[in-house]
Formats: sequence, C-alpha cells, structure tokens
Amino acid sequence: MKSIKYVLLTLIAIAVSGLIWLSKSFPVVSQSTVRLQTDPPLEQVIADDTTVKFQLQALDTDKQPLSMANIGVRIFTPTRNPWFTSDFPIVEGTELLNLEAITSEGNLEFEQVLPIRGKYGMKVAVSPLVEGAFEPFEQSLGWNVPENPVKYRNLAILAAILLGVGFAGGWIIGGEQTVRSDEIAPQPVRMLLSGMTIVAIAVLLFVNLSAEMASHHSEAGEVMSSTPSIVNERGMQVELSGDTQAVVGKLATQTVKVTNSSTGKPVTDVQVRVQSVALESDALMFAYQGIPDTTGKLIWSEQFFDGAPHKVTATVTPLESASRQFKPLQLSQEIEVEGIAPPLFVRFVSLSYFTLIFVVGLIAGFWRPRRRKIVPVTFNSLIANKV
Amino acid sequence: MVSENIVWQRTQRLVLSLPMQVSLLTGLCMIILWTLYFSSYPPVHDALHETRHHTLTVACH
Repeated sequence: MKSIKYVLLTLIAIAVSGLIWLSKSFPVVSQSTVRLQTDPPLEQVIADDTTVKFQLQALDTDKQPLSMANIGVRIFTPTRNPWFTSDFPIVEGTELLNLEAITSEGNLEFEQVLPIRGKYGMKVAVSPLVEGAFEPFEQSLGWNVPENPVKYRNLAILAAILLGVGFAGGWIIGGEQTVRSDEIAPQPVRMLLSGMTIVAIAVLLFVNLSAEMASHHSEAGEVMSSTPSIVNERGMQVELSGDTQAVVGKLATQTVKVTNSSTGKPVTDVQVRVQSVALESDALMFAYQGIPDTTGKLIWSEQFFDGAPHKVTATVTPLESASRQFKPLQLSQEIEVEGIAPPLFVRFVSLSYFTLIFVVGLIAGFWRPRRRKIVPVTFNSLIANKV
Repeated sequence: MVSENIVWQRTQRLVLSLPMQVSLLTGLCMIILWTLYFSSYPPVHDALHETRHHTLTVACH
C-alpha cells in the first residue's frame, strides 16, 4: 500500500515538472507581431544609393493579417561614432522617418533611402482603428546596412598615394645631404623651396580658416514652413503644406489635406501618393502611398539627410470604390535643405588617420637609404677580399 | 653685416635641419589633405563632394 503511495507521488511530481517545462518552452499566449520584408534584401542594400522598399505586415496571434489597423513607423539611424565616422555624421543617431498610416489589411509599404552604414532601429506601433478590435502593441525591429564597397577601394587608393609620397619624401630627406663641388648654390635653393612650403601652408591655412568662419556664421539650423501650395480643381481642393526649410539631422513635417471645395468637408475615399526627390541627383529618397485620415489629412515627417534642395510631390487619385471619380491631381513644393558642416573633431580624427599613414611612409623612406649605404661597403670589401 | 650673416646662417641651419624639413613636409601634406577632404571652402567642397562621400572615414554634408 505504501509503495503504491510513493509511486503515485513520484508520478505526480514528474507530471507537475513536465507541465512546468512545457509551459516554459511554449508560451501560452502567442503575441501579435509585425513582419518586415524589404526589396532588395537588407544585406544587398548600399547606403545612400539603394531605394529600399519596406513592406510591413501586422499579424494577429494566429498569424493572420490584422485588418483596420493604424500603423506608426519610426526609423532611427545608427549611433554616432566620431572615431569611425560615416559620410553623414550629422545624420548619425537621429530619426530618419516618422510615418502614421491607416491600413485596411494591416500592411504598409513605403520606399526610403538609407543614408549611412550601420545598425538601424525601427519602432512599429499598431493600434486598431475601431477601439477594442484588438490589443494595441509595439515592436522594435533592427537591421544592419553594410558600407558601400567603393569607399574601401577609394581609401586604399588614398592610403597607397600617401604611403608613396611619404616614402619618397623620407627617402629624399634621409638621403645624402652633403654639398657636392659642382652644385651651384644648393642651400639658397633649398631655403627657397622651404620658404615656398611655408607660404603654401600659410595660404591654405588662411583659406580654410576663413571658410570655416564663414560656414559657422551662416548656420542657423531652423526648420521653417512657408505658404502651402494649393490645387483647386474638379471640385477638389488639395493642399500641400509643411516645412519648406529643412535642416539635416532634424525631421521635417509635411501634410497633404484633401477637401471637397464646394462643401469644405474632408475627403477620405482617395489615395494619396507622396514622394520626395533630391533635385541634385534626381534620385527618389522617400515614397509612400496611403489614404488620408478622417480629417482628410495625410501627415508624415522625414529627414532630408542630403543638404541639397528636394522636391516633395503629392498625387491624389480617387479610390475605385469612391463615389466621385476624377482625374489625378498633382502638386509639389520645393524644400530647401540646409547642410551642416561635420564637427571639427570628427574631421580632425580622420585627418590624423591620414597623416599617420603618411608618416609611416615617411619613416619607411627615411630608413631605406641608410640601409643601402652599408651595402656597397660590404660589396667593396668582399671584392677586395677576393682580389 | 657680420651679425646679419650669423642670423642668416642660423636661420639656414634651423630651416634645413632634419626635424624642420620633416615637419614642413608633414605640415604641407596635412594642409593639402585638409583642403581636399575636410575643408568647407565652397569651391573645393563642391568639386570634391562625390569623392568625399565615396571615401571611407571622410565626413561630408
């Protein structure tokens, strides 16, 4: 009887521990998630070159698409690193995009150029359009963008040039400096060359210092907006407003507002395609297609990371189900983007790396002739010994 | 006349000394590198904008 008791107790203990193990390895409640897909795949993206198409899909606990969802997306750039800077140091550690989208099928698509290499962060917040339809949730995503391979090649070329020039310089300075009898006034010539070097350094210092002072004075760094551009056609009024003066490193907000021009009421059964193009290179920086909210507005904030003029364009087309059909309306506005010069410290760090390479070449060139001097002596002595 | 000669000789000795020549050459190299890759002087910056963006460790805007 006692033994049966013990067996039973042991069995219960095994069952309980098994249940605990099971509950630990399989979460009882699975969570709603966001699935991220990109085209091209993130490992093939070239910083400041590829326009990446992001596809986000909000999924419920059964991995089914969440319908009627509001999706908020924020993209954060890689953290600052002055010791190994990217080509846009002002962009490092800032927010690149802030977009709120109304989705019927829980999917969001947009295009965005990623300016620099490194680890990006994305925060996605999903909430229901109808309150209580599902539990709102947030998710953080991240990915890594590799460096543009051209940059490694160009640095290698520069390093080779610096080593070469340094080596030649070291060779000449460390070489034979005695004045031969047939030389005409070698010292004044050398003095003249040294004097010219000092003058060149002084001139370049002056030019660079004054340029630095000038760029320091002109930087206000203010995001500003001006009068909105408006199109009023076919009974529809489309207004594009927002910051027309942007600054690198800061978000600039743009708003598209669609209203019925006769009633003044917001129009929501339209599709709005917005895009921003860098005018210098004519390259697409950001694009998104969505529907306006209940107030007829579509709002987004993006960072213009290239300090050059951009053009923001909005195209409004009616939805297939819309009661009123009309030809697409388009309007655009130009954005002035103020570039900010990289911090002096970051530039000095990189200059010191380059100088170090030059000095390594210089030292190598300097020691080379000294070793060569010994060779003929040994060679001569060898011949002398043989003779 | 004599003192002037001494001053000139001393200057010559200093300028043509090895440490001075090495510093002059390094200084010239640094200032050329700064002008090409890091200067905000607009004509140089605009001409080399692409090169700067396509060289590792060079910051631009």
